[in-house]
Amino acid sequence: MTNVISHWSRANQERAATMIASYPDRRSALMPLLYLATLEHEFVTEVAMVEVAELVGITPAQVQSVASFYTMFKREPVGDYLVSVCTSITCHLLGGDEVLASVEDATQTPRGSTSEDGRFSVERAECIGACGGAPALQVNYELIEGLTPDKASALVKWLADTTPAVVLADEMQQLFGGQRSFDWGPTDSEGATGAVPAFAPYGSSEAGR
Amino acid sequence: MTETILTTRMVAHPADSHTIDRYLATGGYDALRKAVTEMTPEDVAGEVKASNMRGRGGAGFPTGVKWGFLPDTYPRYLVVNCDESEPGTFNDRQLTERDPHQLLEGAIISSYALGVSQAFVYIRGEYPKGARRLQRAIDEATAAGFLGENILDSDFSLTVTIHLGGGAYICGEETALLNSLEGRRGEPRLKPPFPAIEGLYAKPTIVNNVESISNIPWITLNGGNAYASIGPERSAGTKMLSISGHINKPGNYEIVMGMTWRELIYEVGGGIPGDKGLKAWIPGGASAPWFIPSLHLDTLVTFDDVGQNGSMIGAGAVVVMDETTDVVAAAHSIVRFFAHESCGQCTPCREGTSWLQAVLERIMSGGGRLEDIDLLLDVSDNISPGLKWPPAMTTICPLGPSATAPVSSIIKYFRDEVEAMIGTTEVANV
Amino acid sequence: MSDATSTVSITINGVDHEVEAGARLISAAERVGEYIPRFCHHDKLEPVGKCRMCLVEVEGPRGSQLVPSCTMPVSDGMVVDTQSDVVKKAQEGVLEFLLINHPLDCPVCDKGGECPLQDQAYSHGPGESRFVEEKRTFVKPIPVSDVVLLDRERCVLCDRCVRVADDIAGDPLLVFNERGNQVQILTFPGEPFASYFSGNTVQVCPVGALTSVDYRFKARPWDLVSTTSVSLRDTVHSNVEIHTSRGKVVRVYGAENDSVNDGWLSDKDRFSFSALDAEDRVTTPLVATGDGFAEATWPEAIDTVAARLGSCMGTEVGSIGGANNTNEEAYVLSKFMRSVIGTPHIDAQLGDGINPQLAAAVTPRATLTDLDSVSTIFVWGPDLKETLPVLYLRVRKAVRNGTNLVVASPAATGLDGIATHVIRYRAGAGHDALRKLASGDGSLKVVSHLLAAGSVVTLFGRSSISEDERLAEAVASFARTLDGPGSLPLLGRGNTFGALDMGLANNLLPGRVSTGDAAGAAAIEDAWGLIPESAGLDTMGMLNAAVAGDIKAIVLVGADPVRDCPDPALAVAALEAAEFVVAIDAFVTDSSTHADVILPAALWSEVEGSVTNLEGRVQSVQSALPPKGRARSLIGTLSDVASAMGADLNAHDVAIVSKEIASVAPAYGGVSRDFLIFEGDADGVIVPTTAGHQPLGYIATDVSVPLVTDRFTLHFPRSMYDDGVTTRHAGSISGLVNESFVRINPRDASMLAVEDGSTVELAGTIRMPARLDPEVSEGSVVVPFNVEATKGLTASASLSVQAVRGEG
Repeated sequence: MTNVISHWSRANQERAATMIASYPDRRSALMPLLYLATLEHEFVTEVAMVEVAELVGITPAQVQSVASFYTMFKREPVGDYLVSVCTSITCHLLGGDEVLASVEDATQTPRGSTSEDGRFSVERAECIGACGGAPALQVNYELIEGLTPDKASALVKWLADTTPAVVLADEMQQLFGGQRSFDWGPTDSEGATGAVPAFAPYGSSEAGR
Repeated sequence: MTETILTTRMVAHPADSHTIDRYLATGGYDALRKAVTEMTPEDVAGEVKASNMRGRGGAGFPTGVKWGFLPDTYPRYLVVNCDESEPGTFNDRQLTERDPHQLLEGAIISSYALGVSQAFVYIRGEYPKGARRLQRAIDEATAAGFLGENILDSDFSLTVTIHLGGGAYICGEETALLNSLEGRRGEPRLKPPFPAIEGLYAKPTIVNNVESISNIPWITLNGGNAYASIGPERSAGTKMLSISGHINKPGNYEIVMGMTWRELIYEVGGGIPGDKGLKAWIPGGASAPWFIPSLHLDTLVTFDDVGQNGSMIGAGAVVVMDETTDVVAAAHSIVRFFAHESCGQCTPCREGTSWLQAVLERIMSGGGRLEDIDLLLDVSDNISPGLKWPPAMTTICPLGPSATAPVSSIIKYFRDEVEAMIGTTEVANV
Repeated sequence: MSDATSTVSITINGVDHEVEAGARLISAAERVGEYIPRFCHHDKLEPVGKCRMCLVEVEGPRGSQLVPSCTMPVSDGMVVDTQSDVVKKAQEGVLEFLLINHPLDCPVCDKGGECPLQDQAYSHGPGESRFVEEKRTFVKPIPVSDVVLLDRERCVLCDRCVRVADDIAGDPLLVFNERGNQVQILTFPGEPFASYFSGNTVQVCPVGALTSVDYRFKARPWDLVSTTSVSLRDTVHSNVEIHTSRGKVVRVYGAENDSVNDGWLSDKDRFSFSALDAEDRVTTPLVATGDGFAEATWPEAIDTVAARLGSCMGTEVGSIGGANNTNEEAYVLSKFMRSVIGTPHIDAQLGDGINPQLAAAVTPRATLTDLDSVSTIFVWGPDLKETLPVLYLRVRKAVRNGTNLVVASPAATGLDGIATHVIRYRAGAGHDALRKLASGDGSLKVVSHLLAAGSVVTLFGRSSISEDERLAEAVASFARTLDGPGSLPLLGRGNTFGALDMGLANNLLPGRVSTGDAAGAAAIEDAWGLIPESAGLDTMGMLNAAVAGDIKAIVLVGADPVRDCPDPALAVAALEAAEFVVAIDAFVTDSSTHADVILPAALWSEVEGSVTNLEGRVQSVQSALPPKGRARSLIGTLSDVASAMGADLNAHDVAIVSKEIASVAPAYGGVSRDFLIFEGDADGVIVPTTAGHQPLGYIATDVSVPLVTDRFTLHFPRSMYDDGVTTRHAGSISGLVNESFVRINPRDASMLAVEDGSTVELAGTIRMPARLDPEVSEGSVVVPFNVEATKGLTASASLSVQAVRGEG
């Protein structure tokens, strides 16, 4: 069992074991493991699906069936920074489509694709729960609210210039954000290291470590 | 307006409302202590039933009644639904990020009442901050003895596991959520059986929304009757509303229901930016049929009044559209959302929502035909027969019918604008 | 179990009906003549309610509601409207939704003409499309396996194939991918839908999305002639429809017989038919010339055979085979050998079976439907998935419905994954495990208690050809101590049970009469004339006798002992030593190549007659085609040989033979073909298994089987796609012959310094790659039987295993 993922980082092997143990049925760990596999392989590769299948005791076909149902399990290479721009109703009303166009322009990356240098992937997102701070976008699922096309463009340029290893919502919000849905409270130092939600059990990092 | 339950702490202590220190300093976990030391599980469930709280996730089914459906078999599971994804809603996000202990305490008390020893919180993958804050709360609560083995030295033990979604709105539907939690495609299950009878791992399971669960500590401390006495009879308690769109003061508001929509939009929400005219609003999220000022400004904000006027409070998302709004484009945004989020298992939703999207896109790009209006209505009718309220459906779950709401709304209220966009009105044809 | 006879009253379209309680509305309505259109509903699959075509209106507390009739159970007083305007609108709407992205390529679709989507579009659909957008497109068709193709554009996503793959077959390899209107059926890259049951998906597909490679563009449905028959690929005898077009079998479909196969087939049942038209099929008599064979006329060949057999003493002749023939053919062979030749040396099995008297007359004998109602199924025999695949499905079905399953085997079997308990024993140590189980304590205590706790059906047989056949008898004996309907013997080859019942065994006469039963033998002599008194030699005995010179002539009837018996070298020696060998066969095999004369045999689908399955169920097989070329039925061939020898078998046609069986063979009293066709149950007739007309009630005894303690004991099982004659000649499945490797426990491997994939040598002769498998008991190896790589390997109880240095 540890065989199939023996090349995974030690931390992720431990996380995998913890995940599987935390459910009454090991198949429940499938989605968490797909996130871990993304950190290991940069996206949900065929090899990753075979590994996850073995870990939870189902066929690779079943893993693919599940992975392909959800938008956050990327089965194509994804850039260092996945920029997901919301254009659902409130963001649409307040300029989300223009923000998306601006991000496409600034990164030279049409929605649904990845820039040639592998820096950015750009996608249209459906509602990300930031309607009070619309329009909004996420970078590696870290949120920035109250954007304008110009600020969004500045944001991706900043990402290209500074190439942060850990993406922090609070930092980006302070630099480029505007109206928020609500007071976020004190800043967090935990952020995303790839196109996976920054959540410690699934892999995340403290900035500045 | 003066009465708040859910947001009291985060408003008073914006700097640290999510920490266990602040939580304990403001009465946190008193309700849990009361429950496990002074009350039987049945007592707690009785208070929840007495509160008349209707589920805050959208369907509005009374939480206490739902709890009563559990058969006498174990194990049982509690699943907290934080897959908030309805366009327009962001209140669960705030409750999770800003007062995670309140949510957690609610989950612990509910688990005690329901005889649950493992609870799950299903948080949408796009809410990592909420997941982080809740995980920290779980860790803090475990260290403090509010969670884990023999909680507060009682016989009651509980683990709470956070499970992140993978990006699928449909997983907000409780049976789709359970499939997802089992490592399957998030396709809604056939009902019956309902989750209370056969839920997670085919065991009795209660799925409750974040806002519902966040109310449980207050109800436990203050009693169900106290909760029931707040607000109109069948819309008891406070309700979190997310107000967004063309509005001066977007945000989440915890209100007592019973005010008019006029008050909500113009007083609570501060009115329309630039004093522009109000064109329409969605009273309860993208799934809800629209309201318009000439008919609905003086309708009351209650579950029943909105229902009787052909729409719903839903998960509490109010999306305001001013007079400049292109209603076809707005409806298209919503239809596209549902087409994108359709699970695809049943025919009318899979094919119908995409068809509606394609026709709207053709109209928006200048290729509309006059017969497209009837086509839009008829395709909608084949998903939701009669286009009535509450909706009938040819589908397995309500997602497909939801996509018809904006279509029928714009044709009902703004037909001239749709025809104008098509550009071949009968007048033009003469 | 619900009371099958209870009913409820429902009203459909204003008419009251009594329907079975608990039934789904769509099925209940159909039974009373109200057909509700459907795509996803299938009687044998769990309801999913996905296509929404079967929406009907049901009155409820809040007025009439549209509900899917496939998921709705009937309830007393239910009022249903299947034809209201609302229903019609909903159904037409669904149909339109299904058609908007459908390619409408009916003229070039295999399903065209028998397609529910096409039919319903014709009867329910709107005349013209309102859909002016671009249709969804996919690359098409794509192979999902070697035998099945997928066209995703035609697919209506009904979930039938996915349910067949996952729920029925247990092979979740064909699955839904993506979401929303991009949902599609797919396999995983590099992992094809290699299920033994893949063809069922083609049959259940309600459109032309899944098609078989074999049938693609072969025929139009309106040109097909359908013949109802029974598959002889194993002893379950699944019911089939043989579809012919222009003189060829083009397709085999499963036919529903709920007592036997529920409509399902294995791919071997379904796709073996292409062997009928194999290029190297023997279609004319052949006579050995010293360096090959020359074609001969039938009279020449018959005269040669009659003369050569006639020149031997009766007991110098032996007959091997006949297990793939009909009961009538088997009966005539038995009669020919015993009454014309005068030999008792007759065996339909090839040393790979069990005591014929036990196989024919195990007492008490269960039925397949008993599997549905017992509390536990106990399997101790061959891997059902590999050897009796449709029985495997029946066991899976029972387990799905809550039945316990106990599996005993020296190595992993297809059923292990769903078993309540698995008893794993070292090959050669089976009796030891059985003794533990029977004692009721020790490590198998829990299993013993489970078996003692309720009704049990025991499925017993030899787990592999290297296992002592007496172990099966001991298991059958143990099974008699358990409550329940009894046991079922497991033998693989097509009509083995029919052949044994017709007396193709050294110790059995027709109708389950023991050769030791003087009165029974006398009754048969009344009909046949004089027959040998004693029991004869079985196959292994005959082969040894041939080498010793005691048997001089061998009749091979569709048998290939060189590939199919435990001692291939002995078989070669015997066939070489025999003075005369006649093979009645459809192919030149490793055995028939030693023959002096080969008489071309008609195959399944070319002859009519009766067959008997493992329950003792007699069913009718039909000829869908004339025999290919100059091939003939065994009845005609033997009648002519007998005639040339001056005897009359009174076997001019099947009907005459069948009548004679019904009057001569006691257990088959009255069970003639006429009875089967005109009077019997459509599901066939189970001939008496106890008392009554069955003269032999075989009581298995607990024989003690010696423990084999050698270093490496051998488990030598068959697999579904072995190198059997038919598989080798059936185009579409011939490429599926299983990969060959020796499975060995990792600890043994490390002691031998063998790694996964490295080469080992077996018995000093055979070299194969090794596969490390912790499921194999230490001290034993698992080697596939009848594959090219193990050709010639003797099925001994143990063998030597050595690493081969510098290879692999």
